[in-house]
Amino acid sequence: MREDPESGKGIREKRRSKPSLGLTMHLLEVENLTKRFGGLTAVKNVSFNIDEGEMVGIIGPNGAGKTTLFNLISGFLEPDSGTVNFEGENITGLAPHKIVNKGIARTFQVVRPFRHLPVIANVMVALKSPRGARKIEWLKTMERKAADLLEDVGISELALEPAENVGHGTLKRLEMAKALATEPDLLMLDEPFGGLNPLETDFLTKSIMRMHLDEPSRGILIVEHKLYALMQIVQRVIVLHQGEKIAEGKPEEIAKNKMVIEVYMGKGM
Amino acid sequence: MVKSYLRRAYSSFAAHVFDIPPRLMAFLFFLILLIIPLAGLDPYYLSIMIYANVLAIFAASWDLLVGRTGQISLGHAIFFGIGGYSTALLFKFFGLPTWVTIPIALLVGCSAAVLIGFPCLRVKGPYLALVTMAFPIILHSIVKWSPLNHIFGGEFGIRGLPAFFAFLPIRQQRIAEYYLTMIFLFVVSVIIYKVANSKTGIVFVSILDDEVASKACGINLTKYKLMSFVISGLFGTLAGCLQAHLLKVSNPPMFELTWSFAPIIVTFLGGIGTIYGPLVGAYIYYILDKYFLTIQLPKLCEYFGAALPREFEYAKLLIFTLIVLILVIKWPRGIARFTTDKLEDLEEARDLDERGPRIWKRYKRKEKK
Repeated sequence: MREDPESGKGIREKRRSKPSLGLTMHLLEVENLTKRFGGLTAVKNVSFNIDEGEMVGIIGPNGAGKTTLFNLISGFLEPDSGTVNFEGENITGLAPHKIVNKGIARTFQVVRPFRHLPVIANVMVALKSPRGARKIEWLKTMERKAADLLEDVGISELALEPAENVGHGTLKRLEMAKALATEPDLLMLDEPFGGLNPLETDFLTKSIMRMHLDEPSRGILIVEHKLYALMQIVQRVIVLHQGEKIAEGKPEEIAKNKMVIEVYMGKGM
Repeated sequence: MVKSYLRRAYSSFAAHVFDIPPRLMAFLFFLILLIIPLAGLDPYYLSIMIYANVLAIFAASWDLLVGRTGQISLGHAIFFGIGGYSTALLFKFFGLPTWVTIPIALLVGCSAAVLIGFPCLRVKGPYLALVTMAFPIILHSIVKWSPLNHIFGGEFGIRGLPAFFAFLPIRQQRIAEYYLTMIFLFVVSVIIYKVANSKTGIVFVSILDDEVASKACGINLTKYKLMSFVISGLFGTLAGCLQAHLLKVSNPPMFELTWSFAPIIVTFLGGIGTIYGPLVGAYIYYILDKYFLTIQLPKLCEYFGAALPREFEYAKLLIFTLIVLILVIKWPRGIARFTTDKLEDLEEARDLDERGPRIWKRYKRKEKK
């Protein structure tokens, strides 16, 4: 998309000009996904869809299978049965880096920075992947793009600091910048607020909202324990309990759902 | 009182004399190495330097693979041996000149790296180290196998390889060989350094740091690991070719464990992951080994009226292992990086001197303790 500077053809606009998917087709379709670890069934027959531009939260108590579900979608684990379709294409069992290059980026619950590299180089690793390299716009260098991404998540003043020297809050945002570098069509955030103080949580909430407004067609999937922060931003919530989907609906509905309250608080409340 | 004066004198000396940017320092290092043969050294000492150059090339290639990409290889000798044997075989059976055999040998080395890399890089960490260690052992026994003596020459290897500058008298030959290896060292270290600090090099370091996270960044690990393996193997093969033509022989010891461990010792001496560390380490290693342990130590023993046992030759590896052990505990980042760290500290101290009152400096010193 960078052939002719004179005529102006081929210069990529800010918004993606990708044709919208058909009305009947979802961005991500998860069907009857099951994963067993020995005798334990971590994820049991879970199905759900995500549409373009939708922000969906996944909640559930510890050990409900949320992170396993994430790993299944992003290819780090292979499901025992069930399929994952992304943009109408079956991506079940593909290698993780191939899935990233198809347009699903994820962050990790525990931060995974490249500790020997400066913060900006951490982002450049993601820009070096095929999809990341393709998304660098006309007349922009990789460094420029990486600096812009750091600016977006608000850590540009720490760009040249080695990643081993910066704090946990910065690393959480760095994870986000790394995931955004490939300009994914579906962004999966695994506990983005974990270990952050209320101020940082507030900042991150705002930047997720801004991200959502900047790129309206991008789907976002969030796993989170801090229900208050989550319920404010998502449009739909999926509740997992012991590997099974027990409820799905708008945040207000879920907050009143008897079964969900039972799961979280115990019976007799 | 006197001590503080001395310290101040030293620090001002250090701040003014060592006030050299790293690029200039590298340049000076090579300049000094270029002048050395003009000093009229004994050919023996010159040959120490020649082999130090070859080892430096070999160790720098190992450092790219292990220090930067984190793919621990304990069998780098395989490339050394493949380099030596393929150039020797090409000469023996086709009678090709040296400048044709070496590029072909490099190609052979690259394809060997791909062939070995594909199965090897599926495993990680200590398992990878063990698997890579097996390959030189296999080749070692193949070249020693007596039914193949007419090809590989058995225990004695392939002898009578042409020297690089056979037309010169012996003394000039040494000097010419010295300059040749010097140029190779310069070119190879610049290439490896550039690769290690390029954007591809960043991906290499990301693989060293966290494989899962680089997968999540969309990096095809196999591709980059293989790339690192091939670049490393290419220059390792080059070192093997040079060694074979310098010694005029390719023999089974090229596949021995010694040649797998030499780059490790040298890299740890100099500083792993720096690329310039192995260069410094190789010189220290060879000067220690071939000058102090081979010339000076027997002399010293003679002075005290004792003779070194013949088995001492085998104890050398043990001595170097001990040195490396001590270094790893005392200076885990190696000699070269220790020096550059010191220089950086000086620069920082000078910055403080210029910017702030003296009290800052005193505070800083306290903080360090």
